[in-house]
Amino acid sequence: MVTIIWLTLNEAMRRRAFLGTLIILAALYGLSFLPRAFHQALGGNPQSFEIGVNLMILFGLDIIKFFSSVLAIVLGAGAITSEIERGYLAAILPRPLHRFELFLGKWLGVMLFCTANAVLWTALLWVSVALQAKPRAEMWHALPYVLLYPVLYGTLALALSSFSSAAIAAMFTVAAGAFAYFADHFLRPIAAFFDVELLQRIVSLSEWVVPMAVLKRLVQARVDALAPPGMNEAPPLGSEEVLLFLKPPVHSLDLAYVGLYILVWLLVGLVIFQRRDVQ
Amino acid sequence: MWAIETRGLRKVFRPLLGRHAVVVVDHLDLQVPGGTVFGFLGPNGAGKTTTIQMLIGNVYPTAGKAWVLGYPAGSIHAKRRLGFLPEKFQFHDFLTAEEFLRLHGRLARMDSATLNRRIEEVLELVGLTERRKSKIREFSKGMQQRIGLAQAILHDPELVILDEPTSALDPLGRRRVREVIQYLKQQGKTVFLNSHLLSEVERSCDYVAILHRGRVVKQGTLDELLVNRSVVTLELRQITSAVLDALRRVARRVQPIDERRIVAEVEQESQIPALARAVVLAEGELMGMQAQRESLEDLFIQVVAEEGK
Repeated sequence: MVTIIWLTLNEAMRRRAFLGTLIILAALYGLSFLPRAFHQALGGNPQSFEIGVNLMILFGLDIIKFFSSVLAIVLGAGAITSEIERGYLAAILPRPLHRFELFLGKWLGVMLFCTANAVLWTALLWVSVALQAKPRAEMWHALPYVLLYPVLYGTLALALSSFSSAAIAAMFTVAAGAFAYFADHFLRPIAAFFDVELLQRIVSLSEWVVPMAVLKRLVQARVDALAPPGMNEAPPLGSEEVLLFLKPPVHSLDLAYVGLYILVWLLVGLVIFQRRDVQ
Repeated sequence: MWAIETRGLRKVFRPLLGRHAVVVVDHLDLQVPGGTVFGFLGPNGAGKTTTIQMLIGNVYPTAGKAWVLGYPAGSIHAKRRLGFLPEKFQFHDFLTAEEFLRLHGRLARMDSATLNRRIEEVLELVGLTERRKSKIREFSKGMQQRIGLAQAILHDPELVILDEPTSALDPLGRRRVREVIQYLKQQGKTVFLNSHLLSEVERSCDYVAILHRGRVVKQGTLDELLVNRSVVTLELRQITSAVLDALRRVARRVQPIDERRIVAEVEQESQIPALARAVVLAEGELMGMQAQRESLEDLFIQVVAEEGK
């Protein structure tokens, strides 16, 4: 399995994935100018600089979440079927290794690459903060939950790639993510404001389809202290039920559900790959 | 013990959206003796590659069973003892020849000392020692085929399955592959060779099986299969109807090819003198006679044509 992990990492490097890494590093470097710009824009108020630093961390974590997920989708979606189609696996599968070893090796390789990238980007973000202001430990507390984004999307893409082409696996994963994002960010307020039960059900369903909102809450709980004043406050009007729907609290089983979700997709991919013909 | 044995092996592909299931391999019974070079022949679409894919465990049979060196096909025990060169392959071309072999050695669970020694040996055997540090993407198609052959025999397997190993090779490359096959045979290995180049198969193989529409229609040693029908070219001063009638009573096929020559095909080599007697008794003037053993290509075309009727 170690050989397959090594091979997957090599393939990731060959596919110029490191260029993506460099682009993100550049984006994070650009973000490091945000606190100063914010400070100047708000007339040199010392509090505004601190708010700028906090915003930089929040934006930075969003960038890391987004790009590490994209990286995981690209690598995961191309890991199985497209490798079969290209003929790479034709010579590897007859080797004395179980198919589950190959699948798990691919999964671990993709996860290792994405995780290493996300940690590198977080470290750069931390250095940018530390050079300008008091370092925020919150970002490190949020990192394990941020890492769940690439793990979740990478697993989903890999599971789909066990029976579909890279393009379809990537497209379906992105569509599922987009649905979850759209439901959480757009449908949720509309459903609450107009009190439409169907929309509320769709929003709840979206959390089961892709638990992105759950992940968002888990990350947010760790960086709540960094949010600018007013950002996380409840709307002034609305019943307790509506407010609860708009901003659900973190449930003790949220993390377990995300873990279970990842495990189920991993098993789905494994079972399909185990049973499919490879030629 | 057979190196490969299949009983009633069957593979049906059922397209997800298609209407018709396609029977690619149909109750295939095959026995490959150990230590031989076995030619696996058949026209396009006969099911050769699918059979091979079932033997190495890449494709699951719909029915029937297959054993490789006494172990169920596709099992880890079987895979440990076989080497495979796929027909359509794409190696990790960002690796050098040596890195590529090292990767496959590790996948074959070879220890470092043995792996280092074997890399030297197989590179020498396929004539790529000088290019060991070159990336595979810099290799010609023929060199890629040779490095593929090297990975197939790297872990010193008891059975080597070669799917069209000479398809991309020039005559020199083919000769080298033939030498490797002979070397493997001398080492007591079994070579299972799927090739369209029948002259190559005829030169390399002891046994052949001809597959048609997913079934084995002929199987045996080359001597058994080719000696049964011998082709003789008779040269006469003049072809007469009496001579033709006399020959037809002895031969299974008589075909004049010009004014002086006749091709006659008999069941067995022992019947060839009877052709000469028939000509003489019919008062024909026999000027010359040349016996030709039927080639594998002749046999192949005839078998496929008969089965296609």
